[in-house]
Amino acid sequence: MDGDELVRDYMGRLEAASWPLPPGRRTELAGEVREHIETALAEAGRRDPVAVHNVLERLGRPEEIVATEAEGDPAPPSWVAARSGELTVATRSWGAVEIAAILLLTVGAIALPLFGPAIGLVLVWLSTRWTTRDKLVATLIVVVIFLLPIILLYGLGAQVTSG
Amino acid sequence: MSGMVHGDTRNPLTELRRGVLEHCVLAVVRDRESYAFDIVRALASAGELVTSEGTIYPLLSRLRRDHLVTTTWRESDAGPPRRYYLITDEGRRALDAFAGDWTRFRDAVDALLGGGARRGDPDGR
Repeated sequence: MDGDELVRDYMGRLEAASWPLPPGRRTELAGEVREHIETALAEAGRRDPVAVHNVLERLGRPEEIVATEAEGDPAPPSWVAARSGELTVATRSWGAVEIAAILLLTVGAIALPLFGPAIGLVLVWLSTRWTTRDKLVATLIVVVIFLLPIILLYGLGAQVTSG
Repeated sequence: MSGMVHGDTRNPLTELRRGVLEHCVLAVVRDRESYAFDIVRALASAGELVTSEGTIYPLLSRLRRDHLVTTTWRESDAGPPRRYYLITDEGRRALDAFAGDWTRFRDAVDALLGGGARRGDPDGR
């Protein structure tokens, strides 16, 4: 392999390893690493296989770089980073907040009418694992279920009077 | 090169690096705006701090996200514009707090590693 092929191979491995990252960050990371390689090669003043190999070895394995993305989080889920909403998670795992929210929205609606689902919705919006879209859908479902009896009663009343 | 040792998560040096590197980056950009490659070089020349240079990029991303550094894109003489990093007030506070913690931590470890022999065995043996 010549130098450029080595770089292409490395970037391919980075792309493959970084699939769990949010697309924006994935592209950004690839750009940063590519720029690093180019700067290092420009500094070396040559881009033969040996020079490229040295630069790539100093960079470290692509898998290692991607794994570092997940470090330093207060409570790392399986391995992916999710902090301050900028990195959305590629995992479907739920934490205590999510489970509590689901319970309050389902069982809570019967055990604690009104309050259960209301607190459940607050938890839904506090979740750091669900996306805004998930949260909007959950809210919409709760609102529809709340309004359903009213709509049904109204429809029934209309039927009774007309019949 | 120790960076080539894989799965060395139990290596105390690896763990230490992981713990202090963020603040070392903050120290590099405390007084001078730098772009990523400069930061990597500064850390590498300090020795012991970086084994895989590429892992700096996730770390810089985290510092940006936590508002501990600000970035500015600047034109470069050669190639595309470069992103320059500088510490924020919040970053400075984090760094000052770490510097205090580190001094205490280092002194405690030093005292145990070296001081024990000098102080003598408490059992008097």
